[in-house]
This record gives sequence, structure tokens and C-alpha cells, in this order.
Amino acid sequence: MTKSLLNIDHIARVEGHGNVHVVIENDQVKTVEMNIVEPARLFESMVRGHSYKDCSYIASRICGICSPSHCITDLKAVEDAFGVEVSDRTKLIRELLVYGSYLQNHASHLFVFVVPDFIGQPSVFPLAESDPELFAQALELKKLGNDLCTSVGGRSIHPITAVVGGFTHEISADEYLSFTRRMEEMIPFAKATVDLFSSFRITDIHTASDMLAMVEEDYYPVQSSNQLELLDEGVVFDAHDFEDYLEEYEVPHSGSLFTREKGSGKAVFTSALSRLNASWDHLSQEAKFASAKAGLRPEERNPMKNNLAQAIEILDALIRCSGICRELAKFEGSSKPVPYQVKAGVGVGMTEAPRGVVFHKLEFDADGKVVHASIITPTAQNLASLENDTRHLAEVLVESGLGEEHIRSEIAKLVRAYDPCLSCSVH
Amino acid sequence: MTDHTCASNTEGQLPRVVVAGLASCFGCQLQITNQEQYLTDILGRFDLQYWQLASSDPMPEDFDIVIIEGAVTTEEALEQVKALREVADTVITIGACANTGGIPGIAAAGYASRASEVYDSVPEACGTMIEPCAVSDVIAVDFQVPCCPIDFYEFAQILSAALMGSNRARRSTTMCNECKRQENPCFYPQGEICLGLVTSGGCMARCPSLGRPCMGCRGLSPKANLDSARESVASYNLSVEEFDRKLSIFNQTNAVLSAKDEASDD
Repeated sequence: MTKSLLNIDHIARVEGHGNVHVVIENDQVKTVEMNIVEPARLFESMVRGHSYKDCSYIASRICGICSPSHCITDLKAVEDAFGVEVSDRTKLIRELLVYGSYLQNHASHLFVFVVPDFIGQPSVFPLAESDPELFAQALELKKLGNDLCTSVGGRSIHPITAVVGGFTHEISADEYLSFTRRMEEMIPFAKATVDLFSSFRITDIHTASDMLAMVEEDYYPVQSSNQLELLDEGVVFDAHDFEDYLEEYEVPHSGSLFTREKGSGKAVFTSALSRLNASWDHLSQEAKFASAKAGLRPEERNPMKNNLAQAIEILDALIRCSGICRELAKFEGSSKPVPYQVKAGVGVGMTEAPRGVVFHKLEFDADGKVVHASIITPTAQNLASLENDTRHLAEVLVESGLGEEHIRSEIAKLVRAYDPCLSCSVH
Repeated sequence: MTDHTCASNTEGQLPRVVVAGLASCFGCQLQITNQEQYLTDILGRFDLQYWQLASSDPMPEDFDIVIIEGAVTTEEALEQVKALREVADTVITIGACANTGGIPGIAAAGYASRASEVYDSVPEACGTMIEPCAVSDVIAVDFQVPCCPIDFYEFAQILSAALMGSNRARRSTTMCNECKRQENPCFYPQGEICLGLVTSGGCMARCPSLGRPCMGCRGLSPKANLDSARESVASYNLSVEEFDRKLSIFNQTNAVLSAKDEASDD
């Protein structure tokens, strides 16, 4: 009997700490475990007793890279509980902030984390010498995302200006317009990025997971909607009812809870690829064209194509945000926090973080202190799916007679394609 | 590490640096990558031997400087930081988590019952969880970069001090002092609690300058006069209890605050 243990310890170039354990016996894949060893910080218990005013400030610290998403999701939950209706201008600025984190995250993920896999290097740094122009442009794209978060949120991570009811500060019309210009200038590179990622050879696998994404009529939503769709189930539901459709469960090998569909027990996959599958029709024209040219059309079930989906989202985000900035530069309406009454109640917030849907559910007492909190991050939703797909990938590769080194590197590629945020998942 | 020595290991060789991450949001490590225009300059000044965030190269056995992000929340992390201290000539801690216990430190209050609020039974993968604390609570730290998240320029400045072995004086003024120089309107007359009164300065009042009160992320200033600050809070008819609660967000594990808690328990 031959038995091999394929361990990838400390998966590099992902957010947070995790290992993958695979056992192969007599050419049969026996066990696949996503061993998530990120330390538990117990956020749900930490926000309890704190004021609604400080809740999004604390919750943003769940994750550096997803901080704008956690911040806005939390604000939406507070506003839902108190019945606060924010202005259209505030909604638009929030969208810009979420997209700033998309540009920042997707550019870091694609160029710093993923590209080394496909150029056979341990990190992106050798690219600075081998392809200085690509390296410089990739950094410029990432910088654009950071600058957007810094200008809109007050800092590249952990936004300062976004508070319950609105924003405490805004940039000038000239600054908005200068972002429009920079975004337009970046579009050719975004198109080249789509081409680059569609040129990478990936293993042909298909996920059996049900894709989950925020949906909205005639729009590609990232924060504006409260509706979600489970694509295979074909069911659209309200974020308030998320616990009727999704349930978390514990496994001994992961500090992060796992998530499954309630009832069917099926794994779910939430991601850029899920969004593209759900809302492809509502991509901007150029992004849709680039997507079609790259061969990505719904229904696409290869999770390895999530990288390509992110590249398409970069292009779409640039087009969308250049328009939003032009709109905001007109300075119509106000983003000043609207007045509201603090009251006891429960609220749910939901946004599309760069790596998928995130839920915050908060219960407040009459003084606006948190009584109970429940947070489900995208990666906590995706781990069961990632485990299943890793097994499927390992089976395909073992069947093709490929060696351990090859299997190990392909598994690492799949893990990175999911763009997991392990620090988010164990929060 | 002996004072005023250069951190490079051998004459002419760049100091070997490793980056380690404990319980945190990863944000401070990201802040380092978020200054794209300076990143390659900074990286060129040392030999980066391990950075799990950016490279799949494994952790070496020997190095000169370790940069630690995050709070200590497990026995395993405690052993890890002790081992890092054994090897490294210089230890730099970055961010509130590593320096004050930060946000993970909030869990230190009533720690015993907290895990059961999140897990039915704590998964093995969580390791042996212990009450969270700052890195500087368990090992000697040579340089600290405060804030949540760190400011890149302050990081670059402190890193330079570590690389060159120059002075490590810590700023002790309060944020309030800097805020006044920015001519920001004070939050207290507007009925809002601000922690700038007692928080270490150095951020040039970043949050108040953008319309948001200080949350105390740089930690309690050694010059903080807590009693006087509480009197000021009360004089504006604001809640001292609320002031203390806010202060606990970044200073839960600070002995000065827990000393006060014990005193009030008597």
C-alpha cells in the first residue's frame, strides 16, 4: 500500500494562516482538510456591550483588506436596526469606498499573490526586474485603489469618515475629477490584465457548490441591495432571512466555522465569479465584451476562473467608479450624517466584500449598546466549497498520474484562486 | 540587543529581516505594501527572508530583525514570540494589537466565558487559547510602531532607527496637544467623547482632523492624567463610564486601567 501525505503548511500569499492536509492512499484521495489555524479573536463577543457608534470601528478590524466592507456592512446593520435612511449621495460614496477596496484587493491578489504561481517564482518581487513595466503598472493599479480608500475613507484601510447616517468628511470636486481621470487612464491596463489572466493555463475542474451573490434588478450590486440569490437553487431571498438559508457549523480542523445551505447541506461559493454568474448581464459594456473575449460567460463553474473574474471586475469597477466620481463632483445632495433615534432592535447588514457576501447581524438595547452580534464572512462561507473542490482537483490530478509536487502546486493555486481571507474567516 | 549598535549582522551585509503575524487583521502588514511608490526602496534596504503574506519562501533559522504584528492569544504564539526573541537582535512590534493588545485585547475582560459565545466546542485548530496580551507584555521589545493601523511613514522612520541603531525615544505627549495645533474644533463642547485627552500623540490628530473623535489607538500616553480627564468629561455632562468603556477598546490590558478597575472593585 502506498500512502502519501500531501501537506501544504502555511499557505503563502493569502490573507491569514492556514494549511492544507491531503491524504492519498493507493491512488485514492482519502482526506482533504482545510486546516485554518488563524487565532480566534472572538469578535462577536468583543462588540457586545459596546456602543453602536463604535461597533463599525471595532468590526472593521476583523480584517485589514476587507475593512471597508466590514465597516459598511456594520453601518447598514446599525441603520437597519434604527430605521435610518441615508442620502443617495452617502450611498454613492459608500459604493466608491467598497470599489476602492475591490481595486486594492483584486490588484494585490492577482499580482502579488497569484501571478508568481504562473511565472514560476516564490514572490512578485522578481517581476520588478524581469518585467518592470508590468510590475510598475500593477503597483499603480493597487495604488489607485488605496488612494481611493484613503481619499474617501480617510486612510487606505479601516475607514475613519464612514459613520452611522453618512460621512464626516468629503474630498473636493477637483479630487473626485482627478480620480475620474486616473481611472480612465488605467482602463487599457485593466484590459491587458484580463488578457493576461485568460492566457494562464488552468486545470479544468467544476465546482458542485451553489453560488451565492447579491442581486439587484438591472444593476451589478456590491452594497446597494438587500437581496441575494442562490443560483443553483434559483432562490432569491432577503438578507434579513439569511439564517433561513445558510447555517454555520464547526469542524475540529478549522478555527473558522464552515457554512452550508440549510436543508440541502450543500456547500456554497461566494466570490467575484459568483457575482459574474449572477449579474453578467449588468456588467458595463466594455467589461462584458472583455469577459466574452476571455471566454468567461455564465454559467462558469471552474473556481480557478475566479482570478479572471476579478480581473474583469477591475475593468468594470474602473468604468463604474469614473462615472460615480464625475457624479459626485457635481456636489448634489449631502453626505452629512442624517439625524436618527437610537432604539432597541435587531438589524442586518450585507455587502459584497471583494471575496464575496458578508453578513453582520446586530441586536441593540434601548441605549444602543450591542446585546448580540453574528457575523458571517465570505471565506467562512467558502471553506466547505474549497475543501470539496480541492478533493475534486486532487482526484483529477491523481487520475492523470501527476506527481506530488505538481499536485501540491495545483492545490496552492486553487486555494489562492478562492482568494481566501483567513483572518476574516476566524474573527 | 545592546544599545546603539547597527542591526546588520556582518560588515557589508544587509540585515536579515523576517515578518511574523499573530492575532490581527493583517492590516499593518498591508499598510507596508500599501505605499507602492516606496515599497521597493524600503525592501532594498534589508534582506527580506520571510514574509508569509508576500512570498512562499520558508522561515529561516537565523535572522537579525523580526517585525511582529498581532497580539498574543495562544500558548503557541507565546512560545513563538519567545523563540523569535531568542534569535533576533532586534524586535520591532507594529500596530496596536502587538503594542497594547489592541482590539483582540478587548476579549481579555471576562475572557473565560468568551469562547463559548462563538463556539459550541472550541476547534482543535484554534490551539491553546490564552487571555490576549501585547507582545511587549511577554518579551522585551526594542522598537514599537503604534496605531491601528500603523502609518507607513512612521514605520519607515522607526525601521530606519532600527536599521541604523539610532535613538529610540518614544513620544509621550498626548494627541490632544497635536489636535489643537491643527486648529480642529474640540468634540467635547459638541457633546462627544474624544480620547485625545489621554492618548499618545504622533498621528497629528488624523481622525479628529477628518471629523471623528479619537478612539485611542496609539495607546494610553505615559503622561495621561486619567483623573483629570475624567473630571473634564464630567464637566461637559458626559458619561465617565462611557469614557472608560471607550478607553478599554485599545487599552483593555493596560495595567494602569486594570489598576483602576481593581480599586473600584474594593
